[in-house]
Formats: sequence, C-alpha cells, structure tokens
Amino acid sequence: MQFEWTAGQDAFRHKIRDFLHANLPADWEKFSEHGPASPALTAFARDFCVKLADAGILFPHWPLEMGGEGLGPWEQQILSEEMWIAGEPRGGQYMNVNWIGPTLEKYGTPEQKARYLEPITRGESLWCQGFSEPDAGSDLASLRTRATLTEGNYVISGQKIWTSYAGLADTCFLLTRTSDDRKKGITIILVPMDTPGITVRQIPSLIGEGDIHEVFFDDVTVPETARFGEEGQAWEIVAYSLRNERLGIPRFTLARAALDRAVTMLQEQGRFAREYVRIEAARCAALCEAAGTANYAVVQKRVDGLAIGAESSSARYATVMAERAVCEFVVEFLPEALAGASPYLKMHHQRGIVAGVAAGSAEIQLNIIASDVLELPREPR
Amino acid sequence: MHLSLNEDQRQVLDFIDSLARPYAGVPLHDAGLTLESAELDAALVENGFLDVLMVEELGPVTAALVVEKLARLPFAVEAAASSFVRPLIDPDLPRPLCLVEEGRTGGPVRFLRPGASVVIVGPSGVRSFKADESVIAGAQEDALYAYPVAFLTGLPDAMTAHEVDPAEVLRSWRVGIAAEAAGLLGAALASTVTYVSERKQFGRPLATFQGMRHRLAEDQVMTNSVYWLALRAAGTGDPGDAALALLHAQEAAKRVCYDYHQFLGGMGMTLEHPLHLWTYRLKLLTAELGGRGEQGLAAAEALWG
Repeated sequence: MQFEWTAGQDAFRHKIRDFLHANLPADWEKFSEHGPASPALTAFARDFCVKLADAGILFPHWPLEMGGEGLGPWEQQILSEEMWIAGEPRGGQYMNVNWIGPTLEKYGTPEQKARYLEPITRGESLWCQGFSEPDAGSDLASLRTRATLTEGNYVISGQKIWTSYAGLADTCFLLTRTSDDRKKGITIILVPMDTPGITVRQIPSLIGEGDIHEVFFDDVTVPETARFGEEGQAWEIVAYSLRNERLGIPRFTLARAALDRAVTMLQEQGRFAREYVRIEAARCAALCEAAGTANYAVVQKRVDGLAIGAESSSARYATVMAERAVCEFVVEFLPEALAGASPYLKMHHQRGIVAGVAAGSAEIQLNIIASDVLELPREPR
Repeated sequence: MHLSLNEDQRQVLDFIDSLARPYAGVPLHDAGLTLESAELDAALVENGFLDVLMVEELGPVTAALVVEKLARLPFAVEAAASSFVRPLIDPDLPRPLCLVEEGRTGGPVRFLRPGASVVIVGPSGVRSFKADESVIAGAQEDALYAYPVAFLTGLPDAMTAHEVDPAEVLRSWRVGIAAEAAGLLGAALASTVTYVSERKQFGRPLATFQGMRHRLAEDQVMTNSVYWLALRAAGTGDPGDAALALLHAQEAAKRVCYDYHQFLGGMGMTLEHPLHLWTYRLKLLTAELGGRGEQGLAAAEALWG
C-alpha cells in the first residue's frame, strides 16, 4: 500500500493547476459564485472547455481508441478533484467526459456517435439528464414520462423535475416509459432540447441561479433513431454509466478546502484560539479525510479492474457526512460567510448542502450498504 | 497512490488467520469480562508478528494491518504499543508495554502487571521502568473493561531515559491505537450484524427493520473510514494524520458501542454474547491519550498551527 501520489500523478495534478492558474480570470472566485448551471458559468465553460480540449486535458482518461490518452482512474480522479476545488469551471460539461461520452461509445449507433461524440471532445456541447419526475425521485423505476412509437417516430409526453442544466442544454439524456414493465419498460431517448413541445421552467433555489428546472414534454416528436440502445435497455445502460461515475463528484476535496479557508478567516480575526472551535474544525477535517480515503479505496478497485459494488455507497455516505459537518461548521462559526463575507464559502455551501440529495439520496445509499455491504436480510416489500 | 494489499501483506494476514484460528471462538459464560491467552501471545512473538514494523519490506502499514487483525479476536493482545512504540524506544523492552502519559498516571493502565514495561511519555521526555508489585494496585475484580487493567500507585525514582522525540512516540501511539480501534470496530460490527440477521421479532429478522438497517449502515461507514484513516496514518507517518485517525476512531467508538448494545437488547448486557469483548475495549480506548478533545487539539495544531 502506498498513500502518496506517484511523481507522475503529482505532475499531472500540477499540469492541471498550472492550466487553471493561466486560464481562470482574476475575479474567478467571485464569478464562480454563479452555480455550475448558471447562464454565466455555462457561457464561461463553453470557452474554457475548448481550451481544455486544446491542452489535452478535457478527457485524458478516455481510452486511446476514443481519442483520449488512456490515463487511468487515478488521473480521472485528480482531474475531477482539481476542477471541483476550483468551483467546477467546466460547468455541466463534466458529465460529458465522465459518463456521457463513454456511454455513447459503448451503446450508441454509429450515427449517434458521429453526431454527439465530436462536439463533446471539442468542449462544445452541454447535456442534461432527464431522470427524476415529480413522482419518481428515489423510486426512479416508477417514472411515467411516456414515449410511444408511431410511424417511425417517438412521441413523448410527461414531466421531469429537478433537472440540472436543462435551461441551456443542447441535448437531454431522457428516460422514458415504453411499456408497463417496471424496470424493463424504460427506454433512453436522446432528445435535442430545441425540439418543439419542450418547455423548461427554472425552479428558484438557494443553491444557485439556473441550477434546477422542471421540463415538460408535450407530444414531443423525435425519430426512432433517437432511441439509445434497445427499448427496455435503460436500466442496464444507466447501471453501466454509473460504473463510470459511481463515486460522483469528489465533494470531499472542496469541503476540505472550504474548511481550510474558514479556519484561515477565523485565524485572521483572532477567533481560532478557543479549544471547542479547534476541536470542531479537527472533527470536520477527520470526516473530510475519512471520506477521501474511502473514495480512494473505491478508485483502487477500478484501477485493479474489479467490479465496483456497494462500497461506493459507503464512500458517498462518508462524503455526505463530511459535507454536512463543514457546512454546519461555517454557519456556526462564520455566519457572515453566507451573507457576503466569503464568496468561496457561500459557493461551497450551495454545492455542499445538496450532497445527501443529489444523484441518489443518502438514505438510498444506506439501504444499499445494509443490503449489499453488510448483507443484512432484506426488508419485506 | 496504491491501496491494494501487496503479496507480502496478504501472506502476513493469511498466516495470522491460520495461527489465530484456535482463538477465534469464545468460551462463553466462564470467560468473564476479560479474555487473554498466553499461548496466543507467545505464538505471535515467536513468529515475529509484533515486529513487522522493523522489517523493511513490511513496515508501518503492515504493522497497522496486523494490529487491526489481532484486535478482531475475542482475546485481548497487547499488540499496538509493542508494534508501534517499542521499535522507537527499545526493541528489546520486555512486553507487555504499558503506555502512560506524563501527568495522567492515575487512570486504568491496560495490561499492567508485574514484569510489564511501563513507558511514561510527556514533554519532559520518554522514560520507562519495569513494573513490580510495589507500584501496582489491582483494579476492582469486576471492573467493566474487557482489557486487563490495573493502576499505578506511584513511579519509581529511577527510570530509564530513552533518547527519542516524545512527539514521535505520541504519533506512533496514536496510529497503533487507531489501528486497534479499527479492528475492534470491525469485529463488533460483524458480531452485531450476525445477531440481528438471525434474531427474529414480530416474525422477521431484526435486521429487516429500516430503523436498525440505517444505523448499522452508518456504523459501517464510520468503521470503514476508521480503517482507512488508520492505515493512511501509518503509511504517511504524518502527525496530523495520526491525530485525525485516532480522533475519528474515538468518535466512531462512542457512537457504535451504544448502537450495538441497544440492538442486541438483553444479550448485549449479559455475558451470553461476546459483544462486550470488543465494545468494552473500545470504550476504554475512547479515553486513550485524553480522548477525542485532545486528539482534536493535536490535529488542529498539526493542520493549522
């Protein structure tokens, strides 16, 4: 076992940091207060990702046959960490390179690959993920947005909700129901967001402007060729996608960086001497580092080519604990940070506070740990 | 970064598994609150398992893996201090080692008995002496801890001074105890999971009730991350990592001991079940080195000055 980064991994991290230093504007910290899905950050990301592509660090972890450099999971992790600590200047395009691209490569038709992969590699496309519905959140398989095949076209009707990036995305990775079979009746359709019949409404939130939306589909008609995979194959494809994105965003890194920033502010103001503040800060640091090592243990399994199972849920829940602790530490000891005194800590709070809700709720992670890590007998249904 | 076990580590752990197999079971009822085995201890010494830190190709991470593994046994083994502190001060110091903080000599001392090496660690240095009956007061016979404990009645005038940085000893001490706590946490969790999966109430296993499942899952998250933080602290040798590892271990112990006794109901309170062998060791470890607060302060000092 080796807990230090190799020289090559360190060099890769520094390459990214140097790039960020050279390409983020001087007022970036204030600017990044705009959420990752905001119009301002999305517009910024369109230029920034093109530069990343030119520098060869937009998708270096992709295999050589996809045009990547074939770097491994550790480099993907390092790339994600550095971008997230910096406030995610890729905006929503992080999804493209983490899972949409690899999923297109595996399941897409030649036409779909030709149409969608190249814009991703140029840093020019933005996707949204049409999964959750008003009555299908954690219980995703109960989704009802219906797609009906009629004369060579799918006609789609229904509603999605809490959809990130929908306001500005070019394409939706949409889960639809094509039959009543709970999981085997779900089908993916790639829907251009400018198709007539789509209405996007922003949901005002405290986690940043432009972040989440309702999306309505009223007889939205797309050709049958927009189907991704076979009818009923969505559950399998999404499971594959999650293998590329199982750990989700490396939130623990930003939590730790925010904690360090909070401590620095407290020190500058002479407010870090009291023992209970120091102890609470250390407790937060322990939770951040705990989450980090738990996440790294999962990355190692990817490196070793092993199947990743429920241990990723354990790592994700550790991250939720860390995010919660740091968010609460800042509010308790630096309440002014969320009211203008620190754009960085406010940005962290807005992104960190959703850790237990976004991309699979914390309680679902606990269910998975109970059944698949601890192997407890299942609850009766 | 490489977090898989290497071949040497796998072999060491497999060897311990075979060696410890006769000690994996628990003699119930008559075992009392503490359980030790001189034979197991001798076998570990004879095979060099408490000295792996000094073996170049094994080192501190393997030592932490060994301590963690041994702590899972129902039998208490003085492994953490011998594995992590003894090599720093004197590899020939007689075992068991009893680590005591200068100025905190009044608490229960684990494994204290005639012949043990007592090591006093503090700002004025690191000193040791061989304990004899004149400085030992036995604990109450039915003391609740599942480690053998006794009290120091005083310190001898003459002690052996060791030329070693006390801060380095404290760091290693924290790593050793964090690794021991990781093993205790793992064993206590496994033991509880087995029980609640078999015990039926209302016609179904207790483990099928979500109120219990979620708390056990959270306990797993804590247990898993204590393991990794302990190994990392061993691997990096960083004082901040060591303080964070023990802080997290003590936080976890406080939480899970309550849960597990609660989930075992009456069985957790009687000696019909071995749970106490792990939890009532963990409880004493929550007080080690001044407890969570002291680890927090040490970590804060190391991280932020």
